[in-house]
Amino acid sequence: MLKAENIVPKRRFYVVNGVILILMLILIIRFFHLQIYRYEKFRQKADVNRIRAVTVNAPRGLIFDRYGELLVDNYPTYVLSAIPGEISNEKEQLKKISDLTGIDTVILVNNYEKYKRGKFAPARLVKDLSFEQISLIEEHKLDLSGIQYNQFPERFFPSGIHGSHFLGYLREVDRRVRGQMVKKEYYELGDLIGDQGLEKYYESWLRGIKGVTYYEVDVFGRVLGKVKGEQDVPPIPGQDLTVTIDASLQRLLETEMHGFTGVALVSNPASGDILAYVSSPDYPPDLFTGSTPDKVWNEVLADTNRPLLDRVTYGLYPPGSTFKMITAIALLENKLIDPNQIFECTGIYIIGDESFGCWKEEGHGKVNLSQAVIQSCNVYFYQAVQLLNLDQWVETCLKFGFGQETGIDLPSERKGLIPNAAYMNFKYGRWHWSEKGTLINLAIGQGDILATPLQMLMYINILATRGRAGKPHLLAGKDLEMVKAPNFSADTWRKIDAYLTSVIYDLKGTGRAADPQIPGVTVAGKTGTAENPHGEPHAWFIGYGKQRDQFVSVVILIENGGHGGETAAPIARKAFTHIFTPKKPLVMIDR
Amino acid sequence: MVIHVRKKVSVISFNIVVGVLLLTGIGLASLYSISLHQETEFLKNSFIKQLIYLIPAVGGLLIAFFIPRHFIHKYIYIFYIAILGGIILPYFSNSVAGTHRWIDFGSISLQPAEYAKWILVITLARYLSDHTPEMQRFSSIIIPMIITLIPTVIILKQPDLGTAVIMITPVLPMLYWVGVRPYHIFLMVAPLLSLLTAFHMISFTIWGIGMAVIIYFAHPKLLTGIGTYFGNIFLGLLAPVIWNTLKGYQQKRILTLFDPNLDPLGAAYQIIQSKTAIGSGGFWGKGWGQGTQTHLKFLPVQESDFILSVIGEELGFLIIAVIITIFTLIVVKIVKLAYNSKDRFSSLVLIGIGTIFLSHIFINSAMTIGLIPVKGLPLPFLSYGGSFLVSCYIMIGLVLNLGANPPE
Repeated sequence: MLKAENIVPKRRFYVVNGVILILMLILIIRFFHLQIYRYEKFRQKADVNRIRAVTVNAPRGLIFDRYGELLVDNYPTYVLSAIPGEISNEKEQLKKISDLTGIDTVILVNNYEKYKRGKFAPARLVKDLSFEQISLIEEHKLDLSGIQYNQFPERFFPSGIHGSHFLGYLREVDRRVRGQMVKKEYYELGDLIGDQGLEKYYESWLRGIKGVTYYEVDVFGRVLGKVKGEQDVPPIPGQDLTVTIDASLQRLLETEMHGFTGVALVSNPASGDILAYVSSPDYPPDLFTGSTPDKVWNEVLADTNRPLLDRVTYGLYPPGSTFKMITAIALLENKLIDPNQIFECTGIYIIGDESFGCWKEEGHGKVNLSQAVIQSCNVYFYQAVQLLNLDQWVETCLKFGFGQETGIDLPSERKGLIPNAAYMNFKYGRWHWSEKGTLINLAIGQGDILATPLQMLMYINILATRGRAGKPHLLAGKDLEMVKAPNFSADTWRKIDAYLTSVIYDLKGTGRAADPQIPGVTVAGKTGTAENPHGEPHAWFIGYGKQRDQFVSVVILIENGGHGGETAAPIARKAFTHIFTPKKPLVMIDR
Repeated sequence: MVIHVRKKVSVISFNIVVGVLLLTGIGLASLYSISLHQETEFLKNSFIKQLIYLIPAVGGLLIAFFIPRHFIHKYIYIFYIAILGGIILPYFSNSVAGTHRWIDFGSISLQPAEYAKWILVITLARYLSDHTPEMQRFSSIIIPMIITLIPTVIILKQPDLGTAVIMITPVLPMLYWVGVRPYHIFLMVAPLLSLLTAFHMISFTIWGIGMAVIIYFAHPKLLTGIGTYFGNIFLGLLAPVIWNTLKGYQQKRILTLFDPNLDPLGAAYQIIQSKTAIGSGGFWGKGWGQGTQTHLKFLPVQESDFILSVIGEELGFLIIAVIITIFTLIVVKIVKLAYNSKDRFSSLVLIGIGTIFLSHIFINSAMTIGLIPVKGLPLPFLSYGGSFLVSCYIMIGLVLNLGANPPE
C-alpha cells in the first residue's frame, strides 16, 4: 500500500498554504503592533518602571451578635516587608530599619528568612508597626530599595465581651501550617487563618479572596502609580457572620462567672440558638493578636485553672443528681414503677456489705417519685433503680445524645462517656463489677459517667421541649435542625415537667434559688451536686423558663462549687431575671 | 552503501536544513545571553546543556533520515502501541511538580509525550493511506478519531493541556488532505464550538447563524441538516447546565485557562512582563545581552516558553520577522513536499508534521504576545529543552526522508 498514489487537488494545496500564511501574518502584525506601533510606551515602561503585583488582602468577615452588635471587627496595622530581588544590601538595609524603628535586627533577619518565598514576593519583616515608625521608613525610602509597607487587618473586639472560647482566634500561616493545607492558593505565608472556634469553623466564609493591584515602581522602589491598561483584581471581602449570642446576656454571665471555674450556657431550646456561652476562666479574645503584652501571655499560661480550655465542649464532668430524670424516665417508660410507690429514706442505703448515703444525712422519710426528684433523694433512686437493668438505663441515656457529639458548629467537641456492660468489662474485668452496684451510682449521675456541659444543655432542651428540641448551634439564621427526638409517652413528658417545676416552687425543692420571681414566668429545673475526685463536689443547675412566647434553657456548672442549689441556681436566677425583664424583644433583627 | 547515501542526500531539501540551522543558531545565541546573567555551575548552564542536547538531536535526525520508509510504514502500529505504554508509564512513578510527564532513567528523564506526537501522525498516515476511498463516508472518520483521542486523553490527564492540543490538531488537516469533505470536518469541530460559544451570548448568536449558513450550503439531507443544527444548539444550551454540576475549584481551573486574570500573580503577570519585554525591544532591539526585562528575571521560564520574549527584547522586530519568515518557509516547504510526494503515506506524514510545527509556532508566539492564554508550549529549535529538541530534529529527519521522492 506504500505505493498508493498521492493525488491531492490543487485547491486543497492552496487552502492549506493560505491558512499557514494567515496565521503567520497574524503573528507578524501583532509583533509589529507591539514593537513598532507601541514601542515608545513599552520602552518607557521598561526603562524607567517595573511592574509590581501587590496582593490586596480581603477584609475578613465581621462577627455580629443576634441583635447586630459588633463582636469581632478588623483594625488596620502596618506590616513592613522586603522584596528579596529588589533589596540592594540585605544586612545594611535591615540594620537601617532597625535603627529607625528600634526593632531588634535579629527579629528582622529571622522574619526575613522565615517568610522569604521567592525573588519577587514580599517577605514580611515585622508587623504591628505604629504610624510614627512607618513615617520614619517613608522618609528614608531612598536608602531602602525593595522595602514596602502595607496595611494588614488584625482582629479587634469592640463589644467588651470575651466569648473567647466560641469566637476562637486566628493564627499566622507559617510554612508548617501551609504545608498541611489543602487549599494553598488562598493563603500566603504570614496570612491569618482561623485556628479555633467560629473563626476556624466558618473560615471559608470569613476569609474572602485576595485581590491584586499592579503598580508601576521606579528603580528605587517608589510607587509611581497604577499600571494603565492592566486590570486590577479587586479583593472579595469575607462574609460577615451573625451569631445567636446575645451580647448583653453573655456580658452579664461572664461577669457572674468571674472568679468561678465552670460553665454558663443559655439557649432557646426550641430552635437550638445558643444565647450565652461562657467557659470560665476565659482569656481576653485579643490574646492571639500581636498586641498582647508578654505579661498577659505568661499569666494565662501559668494559670492552673487552664483558661485556654473550653469547658463547654471539652470539659468532662459527672452530671450528679441532674441525671435522676434519666433514671425516672427509664423507670416510667419501661413501666417498672408506679410513681406513687413509696420508698423509705433513712439517710443511708445498705446493699451487701456496702453502704450508700443520701445527701441529707437524717433522711427524707417516706418519698414517692415526685418527692424524690423535688428533694433530690438519693436513697429513693438507689432502691428504684434496682428494678432496671443496665441496658435499659444506657439506652435512655443514648436517646438524649450522651456519649455522642452534639454536632454544634464548632471545630471539635468531646463525646463524654456512658458506661455500658462492655465498657465495664473492659475497665474492671468481667467479674470485678456488679450491675447493681454500678446502677446505684449511675442512678444519681455518679460513677463512670462523664458528660460535657453542652450535652447537658441538649439534655435539658429535650426535656424542656418534650423531645422537639433544635440542634444547639451558634450561627444565626441557620435552617432549623432538630435533635433526633426520643419518643417517650406524653404522660412521661408531662410528669417530668411537673417534677422539674416543683423543684423550683415546692417548699422542699432544691432549686428554689433559681426562681427569678417575675410574674408570668414559670421556671423548671434540677440541681446537681456531683462528687468528684478533685475536692469539693461540682455544683450543677440545669433548667428552663417560659414567659408567653419566650422560652430559654440554662445550664450552670461551678467546678468544686458545693451544692448545686446554693451556688449554681443563683446564677441561673440572674440569667432568668435578665432575660425575662422586658427591654428588647427576643427576636432576631433582620440583618 | 556510499552510493546509496549519496543518492539519498542528493535529493533532500536544503532549504529546510539551512532554515533549521539558522533557527538553532539564534536559539543558542539567546540562551547564551540568558546564561550571561545566571550564576549557575558550568554544566547546569542552559546554553551548555542545549549544546550537549544537540548531539542526540542530530543523531535522531540521521536515524530518522536513513531509516527506510517501508520499514516505518510496516511497523508503525507497533510503535504506536509502544508509545501508548510510554505515556501511561509515568503514572506509575512519583509525580514531578504534581504532573506525570517524565520517565526517569537515573539522571536522564524523558518526556514520552514529545515522541507520541509524530508517532501518532505516522500512525494516522498509515491508516488514512490504507483506507482513502472510504474516507468519503462520515462514519469512516470514527477510527482515525479514536486513534487520535486515546493518546490525547492520556496526555490531557497528565496534565499537559498544551501537548494534548498539539496531539489533536494534525488529524484535521490530514483528513482534509486525504479528501474528507470539509463539511464532515466541520461536523466534528461544531460540537466543540457550540460548547465554547455557549457562554457568550453574542458569540453564540453569530455561531448559530454561521452554522445555519454552512449547513445550508453543504446540502445535507433535510432531516440530517435540521438534526445537526438543533443538536448543536441543544448542546450549547446544555453547556451551562453541565458547567454548574462542576465543583467550584474545577470551574476555576478551567476558567484560568481562558482568562489568566483569574491567576493574577501567575499567568497574568507573566503576560504583562512578556509584552513589556517584547514591546520595549523596538525594531532593532536593545542589543544582544542587553535586555533589562529579561535579565531582571521578571520572566519565569524565559529560556523555554518565553524565549521569544528574550529575542524580541534584545534583537528586536527585525530578527523576530526573520524568525517568523524562516518558520513560514519551512512549513510551506513541507506542504510543498507533501503535495509533490509520489505516495500518499509520505504525503500525509509530511502534512501531519507540518501541522505539529505550525501549531507549536503559532501557539507559543501568540502566547508571548498575549493573544492567547499561557499554555506552556515551547518554540521549535529555539526553546531550551532536551526532549523537545531531539523530537524536533527527528521530525526534520522524517521530513527530509519522506519528502525526497525516491529516485526511480
